[in-house]
Amino acid sequence: MSLITKDVTKKFGEMNTLILKGISLEIKSGEMVSITGRSGSGKSTLLYILSSLDSPTAGQVLIDGVNIHQLGIRDLHHFRNQNMGFVFQFHHLLPELSALENILMPAVKAGQSQEKKQKALEIMSEFSILDKANHRPAQLSGGEQQRVAIARALVMNPRYIFADEPTGNLDSANGLAVINFFKKINSQFGTTIIYVTHDKEFAQMGHRQIQLVDGQLA
Amino acid sequence: MFSLAIRQLISRKNQTLLTLMGIILGSAAYVAISAMMLGFQSFIVDQLVNNDAHIRISAREEILTAANVRDFFYDSDQNVHWLQPPSGRKDNASIVSPQSWIARLDKDPEVFAYSPQIVTQAIVNLGHINTTVRIVGSDPEKQRNVSNIEKYMLAGKWTDIGSSGNKIIMGEDLMIKIGAHQSETVMLSVGKQNPQPFKIVGVFKLGVKSIDESTLFGSLSDIQNLNQTPGQITDIAIRLHDVTKAGEVATTWNMFSQDKVQSWDQANEGIMSVFKTQDIVRNSMTISILIVAGFGIYNILSLAVTHKKREIAILRSIGFEPNDILQLFFIQGLILGLIGGIAGAGLGYILSIIMSNIEVSSQRGLGSNHMMVSFDWMIYVKAVFLSVFAASVSGYLPARSAGKMEPIDIIRSEVS
Repeated sequence: MSLITKDVTKKFGEMNTLILKGISLEIKSGEMVSITGRSGSGKSTLLYILSSLDSPTAGQVLIDGVNIHQLGIRDLHHFRNQNMGFVFQFHHLLPELSALENILMPAVKAGQSQEKKQKALEIMSEFSILDKANHRPAQLSGGEQQRVAIARALVMNPRYIFADEPTGNLDSANGLAVINFFKKINSQFGTTIIYVTHDKEFAQMGHRQIQLVDGQLA
Repeated sequence: MFSLAIRQLISRKNQTLLTLMGIILGSAAYVAISAMMLGFQSFIVDQLVNNDAHIRISAREEILTAANVRDFFYDSDQNVHWLQPPSGRKDNASIVSPQSWIARLDKDPEVFAYSPQIVTQAIVNLGHINTTVRIVGSDPEKQRNVSNIEKYMLAGKWTDIGSSGNKIIMGEDLMIKIGAHQSETVMLSVGKQNPQPFKIVGVFKLGVKSIDESTLFGSLSDIQNLNQTPGQITDIAIRLHDVTKAGEVATTWNMFSQDKVQSWDQANEGIMSVFKTQDIVRNSMTISILIVAGFGIYNILSLAVTHKKREIAILRSIGFEPNDILQLFFIQGLILGLIGGIAGAGLGYILSIIMSNIEVSSQRGLGSNHMMVSFDWMIYVKAVFLSVFAASVSGYLPARSAGKMEPIDIIRSEVS
């Protein structure tokens, strides 16, 4: 049970700018790994390729032995829905829905919104946002919005959580709280967590760091 | 997706209401214009169909030629030279074999009723006033089954004509024209003998001036006697069970008949072509309005797609497929089309009621002088269908582009 990349390369644009240069790595199940590097080093690109949102120009990404970039559209989306949770820097909550409804969106897709409702409320309680269940995102603080986004990533009990700069838009206290949530989830449920951060302190809070320099592993 | 689609529409209240207004106005305009035009058309068709006949069999007009006069008067070996070749219409054109027609009509399952008639021109005289009129002689019992003339009687009863006794029913405008009154006696002449007295026993008003000021109805035998052609039938008016089959039946009968057989629509091709033009204008206007409304939907959804890029990215990342995203926006277009179409049909209905209460200058039969408006339910079904169709087409394009968006492209554009 692991996530393996084999010689992953990514080129961008008409000039074929090389962003990732032959990345080969393995992230074991249950690990909490940070990806760090300077701006433009390719850390977000690597995260999105690992998470199936982007595809490599060359190379393979195998999750539990399955090349995710060779899955059909329906299988790929089902795989994401059942196995992956995403947390972005800008939360990306649906403004028309309440916090609880936002958290339940992956379950809505899976047709399990009723079954997962209790689980969603438990997570909200754990994250101290239970009283905000019926609040719209606009009525929440930045930290609360990010907690809702993390709760949404967790509601389907995914095996992998991918987070791109999850603390980037938060003050240090809220940022620390988010990383602590990740640690708790990781230890409590054994969820594999891969997160991109430029904050050294937060990066060191994972089991290990993957540092990128100019598109290569340092 | 349906619930999310509705919430997204509600969250953009102003844009949604503005777009809905466009669709509502388009749909209402379609209903109101259709109600007015179809109301007018059905009134005219009612006059054409129900006050005359679904099918009319009439004597074919024969024009005299030198050849057929020569064959009648001279042997074939005689050399005839005409100083002035014969020409003109043959007098007393009548149906070749009315009995065979009557036998056929009695057996034909398509035929509901028929009425043999004699139709001729005459001069009506009252005091010093003379005017040319068209006289229709028929059996009133048979005629009432063929036409709706009874509905348009202002005074007297249709059956007062009776089977004999020189009684006539006269159009109101004709009575005014010659200064006649009910129960008064006028003189009628077809130019073959001295004028004969006829008593006015009833007055009708169809609302069609050309008929109301020039037509008289009398009994078949009275008019045959007036015309000095006893037993002669010039026309047979026929009512079918299904008026829509009139054209088809008339064409079939025409193939084996020496007489002229015409359905009501064949006889009024000019009017029918006006109706077709009206329909083209009506549909063109509607399409134009709906295209404008469609652009509204296209704009609002295109803007929504642009504004909702982040949400599209997150939905895709949590497992929603491109088709789900397409549905999310397509449903919004459909909802706008459906609500706009239904509300527009409702508004169109109110407009139709208002229009039907507007008095128009030309008087209709039975004194009804309000604008003729159709309340055919198909108008409303079409209005809703057209709105939903326009919404589907205009909603599909932005919805498809939303479905094609890749989450990583959206995320990258957000970062950059």
